[in-house]
Amino acid sequence: MDLIAGLRTDAAALLSDGRAKLVIGYRAVPGQGGKERAPVFVTDPARVDVLVYDASCRQNLAAYLKKPEVRARSPVAVVAPPPVMRSIVLLAAESQITDATVVVLGVGEGVYHGVLDIAQTAALLRGKYADLAPPATLVREIERIAAMTAEERAAFWTARFARCIRCYACRAACPLCYCTRCIVEKNVPQWISSAAAGHGNYAWNIIRAFHLAGRCTLCGACEAACPQGIPIMLLNVLAAEEATRDFDARPGYDPAEKPVIGSWNPDDKADFIK
Amino acid sequence: MTHAEAKTQEPSAAFEPRLVAFVCNWCTYAGADLAGTSRLPYAPNVRIIKFPCTGRIDPLLVLKAFEGGADGVLVSGCHPGDCHYTSGNYHARRRWAIVRRLLEFTGIDSRRLYFSWVSAAEGRKFADLINEITEKVRAAGPFEPANPARRRPWT
Repeated sequence: MDLIAGLRTDAAALLSDGRAKLVIGYRAVPGQGGKERAPVFVTDPARVDVLVYDASCRQNLAAYLKKPEVRARSPVAVVAPPPVMRSIVLLAAESQITDATVVVLGVGEGVYHGVLDIAQTAALLRGKYADLAPPATLVREIERIAAMTAEERAAFWTARFARCIRCYACRAACPLCYCTRCIVEKNVPQWISSAAAGHGNYAWNIIRAFHLAGRCTLCGACEAACPQGIPIMLLNVLAAEEATRDFDARPGYDPAEKPVIGSWNPDDKADFIK
Repeated sequence: MTHAEAKTQEPSAAFEPRLVAFVCNWCTYAGADLAGTSRLPYAPNVRIIKFPCTGRIDPLLVLKAFEGGADGVLVSGCHPGDCHYTSGNYHARRRWAIVRRLLEFTGIDSRRLYFSWVSAAEGRKFADLINEITEKVRAAGPFEPANPARRRPWT
């Protein structure tokens, strides 16, 4: 079935028969050269014609599933390209959502996968999108930085983290940063300085990446949301590579998977231990 | 390190590395105790901080140590299978593998990051370990001014 037509037909059907009270999708922003996409929240089956999908849709709409005002409208249908599908499967694995609260409208590049539940989403990912790899440019950039001296790496990151204004757009854009109270906002004791300067910026960016290790589905929404152009996907990809290589992490492919950090294996890597 | 101690440190004095060791109560702390009661001399550069278990050791603690001016950090606990809480050391090992990678990649290199298993019977191993790490960190040199995690005044 044609992508857009199928998407609109299914969205209307879901809203009409009550299988979804809300459809979260993308719409085209008027003007802006026709390329700009924004999220749209559809509750009326007569209004599904605003829904579009193409390669310009970068935002991860699963991020809205953590919001109480969205949860109050369960079940919610989400337009989900493969990385977003992975986020949804991972949220199910972490007991944040169930089939009773979320319906997936699976989309891909020029293809429409239809209305899926969580198990079907995972099966589709394993079948068709099992080898989603980080962009080669990112991998090459990681290799380039890793080859620097420690002082050069420190200088590289200090210059980038210095731009951080601590707006936490990266956190807001990420479906997996769903703690109702983030460590960075805890101030008794204060673990991470909230001032937008040196050590606090360093700690925030490292801890954010660490909390996503073995969980990040590499959708890129955090870096796209960063108003300061900090290359945070480098940290996400680095942690993801480590988690995959050493701990077989395949986040977002199995709703029954165990968390990577929080589980262990007696035969885990030990080459760094004295 | 307290502010008072920082002030007494002569900037011109020969470099003495500051190590922070996060150790577990049941194995490594007891091992350090054994080193002491056995009168084994070891480098006085280490500041030992005792935790119930290495499973408690959050990356935030490691960052705090570097923020406060540590030149190197050691995390040490029970050997696999010996954890007082069954699996805290296994959790710590996984966490450390990833934290270590992130810190190395962002400029806190592996010559400043150490992880070890030291049992309550290994007083000698503890003393040797601290001596070895102290020398390695000494060779790496002062972490200032390159330390990306260091607490600095607003500019």
